[in-house]
Amino acid sequence: MVFVAQRAKLLLRNVWVWIISSGGLILSACSSEPQSQTKGYEPDTTYVVPWEEIEKYMRAAPSPAQVSLWLRQEKVPFYREVLHDPTLASRYRSLKGAANLGIYLTDMAYAHATNNYQVAYEYLTSANRLAQLYGLSDLLSVERIRELDRLQDKPDSLQRLFSTYYAEIQERLESTGQQALLRHMILGGWVESVHLSLHLQEKSPSKQGITDLIRLQKSLVPLMKKMYAIDTTRNSESQIIFTHLTNIEAVLRKIPESTSRGAASTDPEKGLIRLEFQKDSPLPPDLIRELREKVYPLRQYLISV
Amino acid sequence: MSRLLCILFFLVGLRISYAQTSCAKLIPLCKNSFLEDYNWDGRYWRAELYGNETTEVYYTFFKGLRYRLIPCGSSDEKSPLRMRLYNANRTLLLDTGTQNPRPYWDLELSSTQLLIIELYYPSGNGCAALIIGHKASEALASQE
Repeated sequence: MVFVAQRAKLLLRNVWVWIISSGGLILSACSSEPQSQTKGYEPDTTYVVPWEEIEKYMRAAPSPAQVSLWLRQEKVPFYREVLHDPTLASRYRSLKGAANLGIYLTDMAYAHATNNYQVAYEYLTSANRLAQLYGLSDLLSVERIRELDRLQDKPDSLQRLFSTYYAEIQERLESTGQQALLRHMILGGWVESVHLSLHLQEKSPSKQGITDLIRLQKSLVPLMKKMYAIDTTRNSESQIIFTHLTNIEAVLRKIPESTSRGAASTDPEKGLIRLEFQKDSPLPPDLIRELREKVYPLRQYLISV
Repeated sequence: MSRLLCILFFLVGLRISYAQTSCAKLIPLCKNSFLEDYNWDGRYWRAELYGNETTEVYYTFFKGLRYRLIPCGSSDEKSPLRMRLYNANRTLLLDTGTQNPRPYWDLELSSTQLLIIELYYPSGNGCAALIIGHKASEALASQE
């Protein structure tokens, strides 16, 4: 019903469609039966927020396009073994497919950021296969993949084009009322970025940038929970994901609050804002291990066929 | 009575629809005018603000990247759209209302952070949108 309401809101953007559809919506609202409840599940009301509010949390996690540029800046090494299996793409359907679309795009972004263009191409091809399920095939078409392939020696152009394609995917899913798919795609991309960060942190524990990203999850995970809390009583998938996120959050709570509030300075001539934060202490290896143990089952749940 | 309600429902719907459409039209305009060489990953925020209403944007900003924040909107009193930047714990870091109005601000951070950006009009009603672009930080890019 939440998604029906969201679709109705989208329709409102077009007056004439709205006029025609409002009658139908009223009729369907009157005749619809109450949705079945997931048995024995008590919703965590702390996290339940209206759907309109969820939209802002959906954009809080970094996009694969942004992650890609950041990984390039961090000059991280490439570990093929940590990535998802691209050959499984054809075996996913529905919401799980959307989560894996996010996972493949993040893996592609990582491969691209580390100049492994052949691997990036493989993941983009897998993403293309999944995109066909959701009416996105024109956005990740073979021609477009070839276009990206041609730009291998121009990372900046490639980055820009990838950002544009990702932007178009999001817009298409939103404008066609597929917010549930978008939510899963964002979750998949987020889980994969955390999974990669934890692996990179294990290999290079002294990298401050990776540690900062892991620490940031303490603020992000409650927002991810809000994305799923809305329908845990109706949707068993949301309930499972919410429970995994709660387990992850429990570990993240052990991270001490940052001592640095941050301070802003501006350069009005350049129109530049600088935000300075004090360096936080490194994260204990036990906590990283515990976090990995909690992220792993969520990722496994999403990638299982 | 029911006819009156129907007309009211229609007019409110029409107004919301018109306002959202006009706001939506502003986004490509702001993007094309101010994004320049920044990458855009498709994320924008849009809201109708009435009276003292504000809208919030949650976004992860990475150290090592430079961001362009483009507040985009139009209000009935022609007042500029302002931003308040908060850290994840809701501590206010900056209010651009204390600065001279600009069509956009660039942003750099010393560490990766989740920030909350609040959009508001000092007075009047209007539509508000925010576009965020990103690119490699100039300092880092010049080192390569």
